[in-house]
Amino acid sequence: MNGMGVLAPLLVGFAFGWVLQKGKLGRYETIVNVFRFTDLTVVKFLVSALMVGMLGIQALVSLGLAEDIPIPSSHLVGNLLGGLVFGAGMALAGFCPGTVAAGAGEGRLDNAIAGSLGLYTGAVVFGVAYPRLYPLVATVANLGSVTLARALQVDAWLVVILFWEIGLLLVYAIERGPFAAARGRAS
Amino acid sequence: MKLGTFLARKEWSPYVAGAGLGLTTTVSMAVFHKRLSGAGAYQHLSGYAGRLIAPDSLYWKHVVPTGMTWEVYLLVGTFLGALASALLSKQFAIRTMPETQWSDVFGPSVVRRWLLVFVGTMVLELAAGVAGGCTASLAVSGGAAAAPGAFLFMIGMFGGGIPMARFLYRGGRR
Repeated sequence: MNGMGVLAPLLVGFAFGWVLQKGKLGRYETIVNVFRFTDLTVVKFLVSALMVGMLGIQALVSLGLAEDIPIPSSHLVGNLLGGLVFGAGMALAGFCPGTVAAGAGEGRLDNAIAGSLGLYTGAVVFGVAYPRLYPLVATVANLGSVTLARALQVDAWLVVILFWEIGLLLVYAIERGPFAAARGRAS
Repeated sequence: MKLGTFLARKEWSPYVAGAGLGLTTTVSMAVFHKRLSGAGAYQHLSGYAGRLIAPDSLYWKHVVPTGMTWEVYLLVGTFLGALASALLSKQFAIRTMPETQWSDVFGPSVVRRWLLVFVGTMVLELAAGVAGGCTASLAVSGGAAAAPGAFLFMIGMFGGGIPMARFLYRGGRR
């Protein structure tokens, strides 16, 4: 990659690592406690990110300012099974791949050394096992790179508005309603 | 409130930090046509060792590139961003274990922590391969693009994480 080509991912990554650190997502406690319902920081962070990201992307698409949005493929069995195992790994180690790097930036050597080695080993093992593993999960119920709006044949803005309503209800439930007892320690 | 004070704060409200992540995702997806990524960098570096072990695997021949890709630089940037944020807020400190809670459950052994981190992160990366992404590339980027698989992945994430946390903390915090 040339100079400019390197600068863009470095800057996007910088912003990503910055907000992860500010949100305390690089910490073991933050990640594991969302699964224990004693700290909902992860839920707040995710809901806010998805609301803003969904609105931002759809607004730019509707204004004709963005094309070729890289939509990940939905292969339903793989997404769900992978997610189940992924969640178990998160609860054990207390991070996900991105927050390993964010925690390392705070000076955490368990992330920087053991975490990076584990992720790397996992990637190599996956590559070796790929020919056997992947067809089982990726070819079943594979919808390809679709959006909810396309799959349901509705207007994309309907999905954005519905998600905002669900998101706002969730925030209300966390801050004022039934989930208030499990509010994050930070708030 | 001055910008400098805001940037140097120890923490932001998760809603504010999350909104920052939403903006970052928007720029990444709409301007650079790239998903955010965590697991991807390791996949793109895995070929260096993997091709020695399994020279014929079609994974490194056809599925993922090997080299210093966008995702690898994104990972470097992620580390640098967290480092800058931690330094500016005076939170940077060399540590070998989480400060609290971990040792209540697993004991004070650093070796045990590092072994379990190694196992846990290996599982994470394998699972990300099966799922077609991680929290960053599937849950956040895919969710912001309203891809159905992203929401299924998040359901799986909590479906796997809640019983695992319950199991690990079954005796309560000692």
